[in-house]
Amino acid sequence: MSRVQGRAAGFALLLFLAGVACADPGKDPITSVMWDYYQQKFLKGQPYVFDDKVLLRAPPFAEDARQVPIEIDARAYAGEVVRILAWAELNPLPQIVDFQPVERVLPWLSIRIRIEQATPLRAAVLTRDGVWHIGSTTIDAAGGGCTAPSVVRTQPGWEEHIGEVMGGRYPRSGFSRLRVTIAHPMDNGMVSGIPEFYLNQAQLKDAHGTLLATLELFPAVSENPTLGFDIEGDGETQLSLRDISGNLFSAAVK
Amino acid sequence: MSRRAAMCLVACLLVCVSALAHAELEYRLQPRQIAEDTYLLEGTTENFDKRNGGNIVNTGFIVTDSGVVVIDTGPSRRYGEALRLAIGTVTDKPVIQVFLTHHHPDHVLGNQAFADVSIGALAGAADLMRKHGDALTENLYRVVGDWMRGTEIRLPTQVVAPGTLAFGGHRLRLVALSGHTGADLAILDENTGVLFAGDIVFYQRALTTPNSPGVQVWLNDLDTLQGLPWKWLVPGHGPVATDARPFEQMRDYLGWLDRLLRGGAAQGADMAELIGSPIPERFAAISLTRYELIRSVSHLYPAYERAQMVRVDAR
Repeated sequence: MSRVQGRAAGFALLLFLAGVACADPGKDPITSVMWDYYQQKFLKGQPYVFDDKVLLRAPPFAEDARQVPIEIDARAYAGEVVRILAWAELNPLPQIVDFQPVERVLPWLSIRIRIEQATPLRAAVLTRDGVWHIGSTTIDAAGGGCTAPSVVRTQPGWEEHIGEVMGGRYPRSGFSRLRVTIAHPMDNGMVSGIPEFYLNQAQLKDAHGTLLATLELFPAVSENPTLGFDIEGDGETQLSLRDISGNLFSAAVK
Repeated sequence: MSRRAAMCLVACLLVCVSALAHAELEYRLQPRQIAEDTYLLEGTTENFDKRNGGNIVNTGFIVTDSGVVVIDTGPSRRYGEALRLAIGTVTDKPVIQVFLTHHHPDHVLGNQAFADVSIGALAGAADLMRKHGDALTENLYRVVGDWMRGTEIRLPTQVVAPGTLAFGGHRLRLVALSGHTGADLAILDENTGVLFAGDIVFYQRALTTPNSPGVQVWLNDLDTLQGLPWKWLVPGHGPVATDARPFEQMRDYLGWLDRLLRGGAAQGADMAELIGSPIPERFAAISLTRYELIRSVSHLYPAYERAQMVRVDAR
């Protein structure tokens, strides 16, 4: 094969790969008027597929729109996941989390969020091959979760408790479930007279300081954030947190 | 089909549709006598929707020598008015007293039809109505729609305390409980043995927990009620019983719910996982178990979770 032929073959291969990457994303499993907007905004036009192997679990309706439990399960792609984004399409503040499992943390996350009205929910899972795998569901709601006054702020002395973390480790087969609840009002700026004040950064490290995962949190996360992770291996896990006012908090789950 | 026939058909359909639409908004309450002087208006075991107008609740009344005692007023003004008309088909005696078993909207939003009558409730229930009444009313407008037209929260006019009251020859024992909402009233007619259990007892309809202080409190209330000298048991939702089966079903279901949540918390399960838990076959006859499990996990699970966590922050 001549060099020219080789280049042509390489180009053809590139075209082929691009063709694969731009393959038909499949049919959106839910009805959404906002998908095109969000895939431009968050996925920046990168290739994606609607993928039922990415499980996004939520109740069919929000019993409490201020504390809606969602679970993102991309374990079908364990070892290949570099980043997970989640958002609630019809929320005034749609973004929920940007989760980057680095080491020993499975591509699984549970988190509680606020929703303002019935909405599609999305989890976009980026694998090493550069494709976003989109898990989708919808949730019904009476509404008002984002603009409801904080429950935390009605409790006397709540400021004293900011940054307190309750947690637990629950052994499962092959990994352990780590759960934490952090005392924080997570003010999203949408309640009159109360400026934004929320936790926006978190890191998980092992006992030796090795980074296991990073998270960026957004104000769609419920007050007193409740997070769950699945972590392989034993030993203490350290959690460090930072809010947008620069307060630092830390915890260690044995 | 000729054009004329087609137009005829369209006209007929229009008439039918408008007749249906009109008929839909009538509750057609039929009082059923369950014991001497005692009548029940039994709702369905469904969820609120635009077909049933929220008539998913049991209300009742007792015709005493001095007048009628009403227990709960239903989900809307229209229901309250229909209830009052239904009472009029049974007796000419005036309504002299209303009791509300608790603050939930399906039990109290017919109050407007009894504006001329003393409306009694436990102090705690009155407080909850004051605090949450408007939001609860709005929510019913959302789920049952036009049936609610003109409905507004009307607060109790009288605070009642546990004890025995006499109404025209009927001795009514008021029992204060708390398992369902924190302020639950049950009423035993000592003359007839009819026990109006309010929503401490659901039968063949999954129990609801939005304000429950917890399973154990509720179980204790069931013991209290079952120990009373009752012959007929009127649940807040579901069919009347003359035996203890509703109590057994309640204990069985609450016990299962408690074990499910406790077991889930011990394993670090998240809410989104728990709401999909299998529901035992023996509860198959109970209406709305999945729906209410989803709600109960939201209401009750946070307390179970906290019990399985410890402080881990650097202090």
